[in-house]
Amino acid sequence: MLMQKRGQPVTLAAQLLSWCLVGLLMAAVFSFAFSQLKYGWNWAAIWEYRQKFINGWLVTVAISAAALLLSLLIGLLTALAQRSSVLPLRYLAVLYVEAVRGTPLLVQILIFFYVVASAFGLNNRYVAGALTLSLFAGAYLSEMIRAGIESIRGSQRESARAIGLTQLQTYRYVIYPQVVRQLIPPLTGQFASIIKDSSLLSIIAVGEFTLNAQEVNAFTYSTLESYLPLAVGYLLLTLPISLVSRILERRFHFAT
Amino acid sequence: MQFNRRALLNTFIATLASTSAAFAAEPAKPLIVGMELAYPPFEMTDTSGKPTGFSVDLATDLARSLGRPLVIQNTSFDGLIPALKTGKIDLVISSMTATEERAKSINFSDRYFSSGLCLLLKKASTAKGIADLNQAGVKVAVKKGTTGHIYAMSQLKNAQVLVFDKESAAVLEVSQAKADAFIYDQMSNYRNWQRNQETTRTLLEPFQKESWAIGISKDNSALKDQVNQFIKSYRTSGGFDKLGDRYLKEMNVEFKRLGYSFFL
Repeated sequence: MLMQKRGQPVTLAAQLLSWCLVGLLMAAVFSFAFSQLKYGWNWAAIWEYRQKFINGWLVTVAISAAALLLSLLIGLLTALAQRSSVLPLRYLAVLYVEAVRGTPLLVQILIFFYVVASAFGLNNRYVAGALTLSLFAGAYLSEMIRAGIESIRGSQRESARAIGLTQLQTYRYVIYPQVVRQLIPPLTGQFASIIKDSSLLSIIAVGEFTLNAQEVNAFTYSTLESYLPLAVGYLLLTLPISLVSRILERRFHFAT
Repeated sequence: MQFNRRALLNTFIATLASTSAAFAAEPAKPLIVGMELAYPPFEMTDTSGKPTGFSVDLATDLARSLGRPLVIQNTSFDGLIPALKTGKIDLVISSMTATEERAKSINFSDRYFSSGLCLLLKKASTAKGIADLNQAGVKVAVKKGTTGHIYAMSQLKNAQVLVFDKESAAVLEVSQAKADAFIYDQMSNYRNWQRNQETTRTLLEPFQKESWAIGISKDNSALKDQVNQFIKSYRTSGGFDKLGDRYLKEMNVEFKRLGYSFFL
């Protein structure tokens, strides 16, 4: 009953039962691990600081959302620039991708905020932080998008040209639908990364979720109680993204 | 094969010997001391990465007097008390101020060092004291988990408090005038001002006096007595003065001129 036969749909009962089994297994492992722990739990101290958790979570949501949209735009433009026939533009895109992917985000945040943003008079650490994060993720996204575009065989482009589609129409009606479908799984992972990477912005005192949890830990000395809500808070953000991506995957599932 | 078997036999004999030795005289358990090696000249590393500094020498002398080998565990400052509570370390010697709040979670030894919170200000700041900073629009930098952080959260309700992981980032903020002030101890801020004389100024007058002690787990009162005894005899035998001469000589002279003294 718990096996999927080749070519047959999975019944709802089998799905539920399997999920229950997996859930039970995880619960057993973790309840055993926690029961072995000698630790004076102090949830009351954490409850006092609940507003700090909420504020931090909201900052993380805002910064991640901004970075998500902006990085997608940067990634798209960079991917197109990398395929441009204008050489300086293409090399600029290549240099940007290599520089960002080859250096630690921590260093990028420090340099961008204290050197570049300072020089250009951008003193809002939240805006500077979201920008750095977008530039960082944009480089990865551009490579994913480029890989997606280049996975479309030349014969399809030739066919498109043969039936009289313009360059723009080829992108819109031939390449775009296929690339989007291919992109969704890696994009989901990248978006989850952006959300978690936003915690690094704490080094320039952006009061996001992780920094707030660390502060509560510093005040109350209740480490596990401070960090468990942190894990839950990040899951609340990343799980919906996974869910939406599953739905989109199904919607873009064309017969090929 | 022959060689392996002999090696195995040797190991066996060695194990036997050490077990019997263990029965004869209990081998000393290592004394595990937690500190954050990012607070020169108290806790730092030398050029080869070995822990060194005032607190390291203090820990070495303490371990020697207890007859136990010393293990130093480099732990971030806000992780020290949790490490002590879960028994991962025996002592905290990390320039830790003995505060009431911390004393709820851990025990403190007798105090051995006196310091105070003071201000590093951006050059253009007109503040004459901590009271001038408690205003809307003023940005105050602090290091996470320090007494300066706790002070700012409870006393500077009107100012915007910026929390940093690293002292160096907080100093950079002030020297770039992104923050108005950095709340930290007198010695560090004196040094920070010396390095950034063009961009910062300092008000060394302490607005909160504090004293440092060694942190000990609540479950280990025997160790607390031993540590207190050590501190008492170390003080009378001039151990602290010797450490002061070794690590704080220049500042000692400067602060004596200003009328402050470090040792209790």
